[in-house]
Amino acid sequence: MKNPLLKRLPRELKSDIGKYIALFLFLSLTIAFVSGFLVADNSLKKAYDDSFEKFTVEDGHFILAQLPEDDLLSDIENEFDISIYPLYFVNGETPEGHTVRFYTQRDEVDRIDVLKGEFPEKDDEIAIDRLYAENNNISVGDIYTADKKNFKVTALTAFSDYSCLYKNNADMMFDANKFTVALVTDDAFDSLSGAVQYCYAWVDHDRDMDDTAREDKSDEIMKYIAKKAVLTDFLAQQNNHAITFTGTDMGGDKVMIQWLLYIVIIVLAFAFAVTTRSTIEQEASVIGTLRASGYTRSELLWHYIALPLLTAAAAAVVGNILGYLVTPDMMASMYLHSYSLTKYTVIWNADAFVRTTLIPLAIILLVNLVIVSVSLSLSPLQFLRRDLTRKKNRRAAKLPNWRFLSRFRTRIILQNRAAYIILFIGIFFSSVLMLFGMMFSPLMDHFKEQVVSSKFSEYQYLLRMPLETDTEGAEKYCAAALLNDNDEEITIYGIDPDSDYITGLDVSGDKVYLSDGFMEKYGIESGDNVVLHEKYSGDEYTLRVTDKYDYPATLSVFMSRETFCDMFGIDSDSFSGYFSDEKITDIDEKLIAATITEHDLTIMADQLDDSMGRLFPIFGAFSTVMFVLMMYLLSKLVIEKNTSNISMIKILGYTDREASGLYSRATWIVVVLSLLISIPLSGFTIEKIYYTMMLEYNGWLSYWVAPWVYPMIFVIGVLCFAAVSLILMKKIKRIPLAQALKNME
Amino acid sequence: MAKTIIQMINIIKRYYIGQPNELQILNGISLDIHEGEFVSIVGASGSGKSTLMNMIGALDRPTEGEYFLDGTDISRLNDKQLSNIRNQKIGFVFQTFNLISRTNALKNVELPMMYAGVPRKERSRRAMELLELVGMKDRYTHQPNELSGGQKQRVAIARAMANDPAIILADEPTGALDTKTGHLVMNIFHKLHKQEGKTIVLITHSPELASETERIITISDGSVISDTLENTAENAGAENTEVSGE
Repeated sequence: MKNPLLKRLPRELKSDIGKYIALFLFLSLTIAFVSGFLVADNSLKKAYDDSFEKFTVEDGHFILAQLPEDDLLSDIENEFDISIYPLYFVNGETPEGHTVRFYTQRDEVDRIDVLKGEFPEKDDEIAIDRLYAENNNISVGDIYTADKKNFKVTALTAFSDYSCLYKNNADMMFDANKFTVALVTDDAFDSLSGAVQYCYAWVDHDRDMDDTAREDKSDEIMKYIAKKAVLTDFLAQQNNHAITFTGTDMGGDKVMIQWLLYIVIIVLAFAFAVTTRSTIEQEASVIGTLRASGYTRSELLWHYIALPLLTAAAAAVVGNILGYLVTPDMMASMYLHSYSLTKYTVIWNADAFVRTTLIPLAIILLVNLVIVSVSLSLSPLQFLRRDLTRKKNRRAAKLPNWRFLSRFRTRIILQNRAAYIILFIGIFFSSVLMLFGMMFSPLMDHFKEQVVSSKFSEYQYLLRMPLETDTEGAEKYCAAALLNDNDEEITIYGIDPDSDYITGLDVSGDKVYLSDGFMEKYGIESGDNVVLHEKYSGDEYTLRVTDKYDYPATLSVFMSRETFCDMFGIDSDSFSGYFSDEKITDIDEKLIAATITEHDLTIMADQLDDSMGRLFPIFGAFSTVMFVLMMYLLSKLVIEKNTSNISMIKILGYTDREASGLYSRATWIVVVLSLLISIPLSGFTIEKIYYTMMLEYNGWLSYWVAPWVYPMIFVIGVLCFAAVSLILMKKIKRIPLAQALKNME
Repeated sequence: MAKTIIQMINIIKRYYIGQPNELQILNGISLDIHEGEFVSIVGASGSGKSTLMNMIGALDRPTEGEYFLDGTDISRLNDKQLSNIRNQKIGFVFQTFNLISRTNALKNVELPMMYAGVPRKERSRRAMELLELVGMKDRYTHQPNELSGGQKQRVAIARAMANDPAIILADEPTGALDTKTGHLVMNIFHKLHKQEGKTIVLITHSPELASETERIITISDGSVISDTLENTAENAGAENTEVSGE
């Protein structure tokens, strides 16, 4: 049986086109954003995973102190069934103090993907990392100075063994701003001034080993080489952050983005349902007539949810098209802003389709199905008589003896409470998104200020071996890295009890202090025992926590040097480096493993800001649109529901402004109250989300919201509604006086 | 004796069953209405006549009792079957007309036929016939907001006749009209009854209107308190069957 109600759909769409266009745009952009993100994430992850085979990424590498004897490499190859390839490099510096790691062309292992330009062919040509080049505004054709030589940049590249630009594997964070890998010709390489690092990468012939077997085998290789040559570095692929960090980090934001979509969809589904319910109330007599004429409840149900569903389906289609054609590059740029990835192609992602199309449609269908079917469950006669209350003898709520207008407005709020509840939910979610978008940049700045103000010394040196210095004020310290149960690296400091650099800390006896971030992140209290272990040996150390120490930069443990040496069973006069406010110049730089500067301490915040910074404005814009959309749709609904009443009070002598004041001020009250409740509630929600999110990252940034953020959200919310009020004012003005006198037909 | 088109046996209707405020609106009503009868159901406000109309019109199901409409036991049908019964067997006329806004008179009359799947040409032809029957042929392109109350009600009566229902159920059909227009509408019912042989059930609180029908069933407190034959089929409204435009 053909349903003649179908004919009404275009007319209904036309009559409320503003609402449907607004919902369509918001929904399609949301889906485009999330779909693009998921598609980009999946495409990049595949490109990253495929790069291991495509570019023959090494299974590990080692650096020898000098060129090996003739048969050493072939012995290793035969012993372990692996192939070894030289991967010599030289570290150089730019005039800005950036580190450039020069390599020559590799054909067999860790091959390089040219993203733009051509490999260098002349001795004054160079190919550098694409991300480093972008961060430093370097383009193909530019002149790049490194190692006191001028090179012409011929290519921007991605080194398959440097998807994440870690200068040293021990660094807390990668540094794509001040470190790059580079490719030069053999002759150019030979003319470099720095010492050649005799690095060799190996590729295992057995490609099917599991992680444990690979770990065991690399340990055996290391032991074998250590017996026959002087090893200065040894790093298996699975421990090489430059190779693996990207893979572990990718996809981390996926869950958050998906939840963002689902929350938005649920709010929109309710907005659709509430407006549909209002339409049903307005069309009660038509529904009654249709029911009396033989139309079934389910036919009317499908009719009323058809437009929301069709709008959502159209938005899902358009959103997915945008998600494949436009937004993946935008979303990919977030990853490409952090990682040096090889070329990727956008690939079909069935999972993204389900998550951004089928699940949103199912949510909208379900919410509307439930709410609209409840609305239509009244008997035909109730619709015919416009008797839409479920309760017989329903009485108006008794209100206190306020002024008439106050009671009038309160009644408007009570009568439209369903719309206002959805408005509150919309405002709450918008506030959460807005807070999320606004809080991070100030939080990073605040963190960096704290880190800088709490740093131990101007210079902190980590030596390859204990070496004395005559530098005035230099103070010895011990340091080691252990892992906690979550395999997160914890720095253990052994310091002088009367340290000039770490003050206010009584480390006498066996007292042990934990940095405040460490305690906060893992919920550790004073008096608790903390168990840490060695990365390779697995040796465990149990420490009883005396108190916390205010040191936000890293997750650290502080104790006396004596306790430190006892704990690790090393000589009591042993040490790892120096704190100093003066630069140490009397120790050979090659014997300094690392110099920890302010930049090193704030690099985590910088990197987070860099990688997530582009998301923040998106969240800000998104939440503002959501504010306006929810406020507009639901306050419009209140006015439409009360068209006859507004007309009636106009007949009674109220001006347009007064009528608007009565109805839109009721909504003003709800908006302001919703903002006042939502903002602290969103703070509470974000704090919970923040802690969960930060647990995924290495290190810890304490939760902090700049004092101006909450008032700013309030002001934006109020301004949004002020704009909406102007539109509604026009709508109220357009309600004719005769409306109240009209027959509903 | 004509066949029984409505047979109600001990109909009880309760609301809020099992709750403290349980309410019994109909207290075991039994009645038979025969094909071709023109019956009015009268009663004061709150007497239960609207609930009874609900039952007769298959808009609701009784809590207890049996209701046979043209031989079908209504009390056991689901929503879809009830909807089908309403579409095929009952034509409704409401006090407030309930025409579909922004839909012209012709399309309003076609509405039940569209649902019944009557081909476009056939339903247009029949709708025009019905509009002619109620004296509204020349207004077929008019939308409800372009018609007077009486004209709307005549279109509503034409719509009620669309699927040639077994009964026409009119709920206070003249309640929203002035006396003169009310008479015109009543004349149409008489005409339908007399010329088309339709069974008409009129729900009203007006004894004057009820007196124009053949049979008056009076409801009070959910029970039938009287069931009287007023006029015979031969003389009911016979003097007033002409329909004229307003």
